[in-house]
Amino acid sequence: MIRLLLLGLAVLFAASLLVGAAGLGVPAPVILWQLRLPRTLLALLVGAGLGVSGAALQGALRNPLADPGLLGISGTAALGAVIAFYWGLAASYPPALPLAGMLGAGIGAAALLGFAGRAPTSASLILAGIGLSAAAAALLAFALALAPNPYALSELTFWLLGGVADRTLSECALAAPPILLGTALLLRLGTGLDALSLGEETAASLGLPTGRTMRRVALGTALAAGASAAIAGGVGFVGLVVPNLLRPRLGERPAALLLPSALTGALLLLAADLLVRIAVLALPLNAEPPLGVLTALLGAPFLVLLARHLGR
Amino acid sequence: MSGAWLRAAALALALLLAGWVPGEAARRVVSLDLCTDQMLVLLAPQEIAGLSPLARDPAFSAVARQAAHLPMVRPSAEAVLRLHPDLVLAEPYAASLAVAALRTLGLHVLTLPDPQTFAAIRAETARLAHVLGVETRAAAVIAAMDATLAGLPRAAGRRAIVLEPHGFAAGPHSLAGAVLRAAGYRNAARGGWLGLERLLAHPPDLLVLPEAPGTPSLATDLLENPALDTIPRRTVPAAWLICGSPFAALAAARIAAR
Repeated sequence: MIRLLLLGLAVLFAASLLVGAAGLGVPAPVILWQLRLPRTLLALLVGAGLGVSGAALQGALRNPLADPGLLGISGTAALGAVIAFYWGLAASYPPALPLAGMLGAGIGAAALLGFAGRAPTSASLILAGIGLSAAAAALLAFALALAPNPYALSELTFWLLGGVADRTLSECALAAPPILLGTALLLRLGTGLDALSLGEETAASLGLPTGRTMRRVALGTALAAGASAAIAGGVGFVGLVVPNLLRPRLGERPAALLLPSALTGALLLLAADLLVRIAVLALPLNAEPPLGVLTALLGAPFLVLLARHLGR
Repeated sequence: MSGAWLRAAALALALLLAGWVPGEAARRVVSLDLCTDQMLVLLAPQEIAGLSPLARDPAFSAVARQAAHLPMVRPSAEAVLRLHPDLVLAEPYAASLAVAALRTLGLHVLTLPDPQTFAAIRAETARLAHVLGVETRAAAVIAAMDATLAGLPRAAGRRAIVLEPHGFAAGPHSLAGAVLRAAGYRNAARGGWLGLERLLAHPPDLLVLPEAPGTPSLATDLLENPALDTIPRRTVPAAWLICGSPFAALAAARIAAR
């Protein structure tokens, strides 16, 4: 399984360097190194971070609908990044952009996981997440309307739907450390998450630290999903779809899902970004469609199928 | 074409801007959009009852300095009504709800199309001057514009692209296309969204970019992408390219300057 995913990633990585608006085949060096390489790396990083965040959240909350996008964590992250970006903080101190994203995600994740302890049903947690997500989107639009640059409001699409086009290597360098750190942290939580899947009381009675696992899930998600949203906007559905795709094959145990979810997330997002670029080549478009349009088109029907399945 | 010549051309327009005498305020005129703001400040500053807020923004307005001392009005029907204007100027599509409301209430609203060629700039300037009764001043403004254009080199045949925020490129029938032609360049773009990859696949001899505004946005930061560093570039104040006004001649002079 892992080997197959790595092979798929290698194939898509090569394809990603050879496909773009400039045409198929090896492009001019400046296009290859300064446009296609950054967007490829960013798609891999963001996809892996969102995939593993989804798997960890679903395990910790024992809810297959948990996802940084659906729960509003990507939204609060984008809100933090927007405030740091449009008011010039990130221009004078670039790391402020991912830091503000992580701070926003951290606040969102802490609020949700805190609420999860008191949530009467798993559906009420998802409702709380949808509320947080709606509030974050509204505040995002409000912040962009207040932003001093008149183009800001037109960029709401990016912050809600995401994208990895036209980002630079220095932005990749800003996103990579927190995403990799968050992913590594989440990948190590397998045992704790498996214990949580028995139920918090059972886990506690076995002497396994449930509070610590929850806090680490919040921290890892804040790092990975927060930095992702700060650089690539609010790409949705990756964290939701990926673990659910893998569960029929790999089983319910969270520990078995973490690494495959990271790799499948990277694979899925890079594939979606390739579809975006092929759309530009094949269709008479005014601009590239946002990446989140593709992930939502792939993810939304999946969510409906999942909802039907859960009802049975 | 020298930098000194460009400065002289800019000075000529600046002198025109500074040279108005506050006479009898015969009329109260309100402008709702940046492009009509610029024309009104250029032609009849003494009649201004209100300009749009963008007129004061140096990143987008060629008359930001003059507008700093002129009254502002929000482009809403209610705010405009309070000023009891004799004439309201607007662009055809912007603030259309406010314009429709003002017309219903019986105000004289003049919508000015945004000219995309220098011939159209001459015609629109003359038409507005006639309505405002400032034909002499308009003739001086047009003469200054034509003098600037007459000094520019002809048919150098080099390829240029005007790259706008979000990665759009000005087409041949746009104002920026007319400015490139006036500056002696061939427009290498067909218009519409271009994106960095397609631009770099066939790089032009010169990249013309609007000057970066003081505040960040993804749309304007795109023009600072290091991948574009390989192409020679010239930046032009955005205000000179946004509106079809006599200021467009200054943009052509800046692009043609060696």
